[in-house]
Amino acid sequence: MRVSTRLAGITLQSPDGERVALNSLWEQRPVVLAFVRHFG
Amino acid sequence: MRDRLLEIRAAGADLAVIGNGNATFASAFREDLGLQDLMLLVDPPLRSYRAAGLRRGRSEVLSPRLPTNALRALRQGFRQSAVQGDAFQLGGVFVIRPTGELTYSHRSREAGDHAPIEDVLAALRPSAPEVVETQPASAFARRIGSALSRVLDPTIVFSFDRGGFARHALGFDPADLDGELGDRRCLVTGANSGIGFETALALADLGAEVVLLCRSAERGAAARDAIREQTGNRRVSLEVLDVSSLLAVREVGAKLASERVDVLIHNAGVLPDERTETSDGLELGFATHVAGPHLLTKLLRPALERSDDGRVVWVSSGGMYTRRLSTDDPQWKQRRYDGVLAYAETKRMQVVLSELWAREFADTRVGVVAMHPGWADTPAVASSLPRFRRITAAILRTPAEGADTVVWLATVAREKLESGRFYFDRSARRTHFLPQTRESDADRSALWALVERAVGAPSPRRAARRTRGSPS
Repeated sequence: MRVSTRLAGITLQSPDGERVALNSLWEQRPVVLAFVRHFG
Repeated sequence: MRDRLLEIRAAGADLAVIGNGNATFASAFREDLGLQDLMLLVDPPLRSYRAAGLRRGRSEVLSPRLPTNALRALRQGFRQSAVQGDAFQLGGVFVIRPTGELTYSHRSREAGDHAPIEDVLAALRPSAPEVVETQPASAFARRIGSALSRVLDPTIVFSFDRGGFARHALGFDPADLDGELGDRRCLVTGANSGIGFETALALADLGAEVVLLCRSAERGAAARDAIREQTGNRRVSLEVLDVSSLLAVREVGAKLASERVDVLIHNAGVLPDERTETSDGLELGFATHVAGPHLLTKLLRPALERSDDGRVVWVSSGGMYTRRLSTDDPQWKQRRYDGVLAYAETKRMQVVLSELWAREFADTRVGVVAMHPGWADTPAVASSLPRFRRITAAILRTPAEGADTVVWLATVAREKLESGRFYFDRSARRTHFLPQTRESDADRSALWALVERAVGAPSPRRAARRTRGSPS
């Protein structure tokens, strides 16, 4: 299964509390998805 | 970071950053960088990290990408999140096109192992080829793992042990445990310690409603509170139940049967030193492993059939391989009691009973499977098999590793599950290593008759007479 398929069903929150479905990130154009260990 | 973002945007793409700290840290991070328009998301429970197959720094050495290890570490991560997310989680970078195609993937192998920006930019070119990934464990590692397993699995010791788990885990598909269990109601017996606790914890972490069935109100409540705290899942409840008491099983079973049951896990186990008889006149191990679970399954049958994907899981033991199914003296009235033998006998009964129940449920959507967890270092082993534990301590699996297949059987897509089979490390396995342990159909029928009698069900003949009505 593609990583995009596995991620597609997941919804996360932005720091302002906005809910974002991960598949919306690459809906319009390619996305560079960077997972970081922690912020800073 | 600002330059990277501009380069990526110049290439017609966008950047999204996912972090495992909480929202406060994320906001501070964004302000520090002065990137107010950067797409930033937070994922303290690490759901997306797991889905992307990202590594964890610490557990990698002993056991490559074990979801259960990740779960354990996750709990520590929750505690640390007040400071700065899960410090052991490693990151990664992916480039995904609107078609869902992946043109770049980089999973950090250690802290500080970053994706080179040139490679990321190259993957944004329209001509960049799709990266086809099979599973996070490399194909090479899996080939080696399965070749080793062919040689080592028949030795038992190097299969049931910790190394066996690590090797078998190379073939696991992490996506199997990605499902949302939010609408599933799972019952776990013996859930306050060992494999039962780890199973309940993992199911709660996956979002399921979990009912802990424990003999001790005090230990059960402690387990319920610990699981709620560690997973943030409030839908974890306790029902006090001593599975070895048929009266208690009838009471609690009737109560639980009023609602749908999706998963029933028969995990509770005992290994007494001396022959112990229950108030029903049954040997304690037989009552706990066989009669009680059989009766509970009978009582919950309508509740399980209400589920569109019901499952019954029998947690047996590798020790069952040593015994042939025997129904001659199940209550140990004619033999000198031997706890380990008695344990293995009832564990064999569970495997056969699971097959018989699979047949009972054949025309329904309920699947029935048995499994053995390998050799795990649980409180039961420590108290009942101290010598075995002393000898094998270094190679014993953790309770979470022992629970992995239970969680998998409760979670995996239905089409990957074969009702009636016996599982170990997420694969269906044979139920006999020795030809002399094979049972006959007559043995199987005798077992069913035995457990039906033990739980006080009317014999088929009496039942038939009753349906015909009394002659007058």
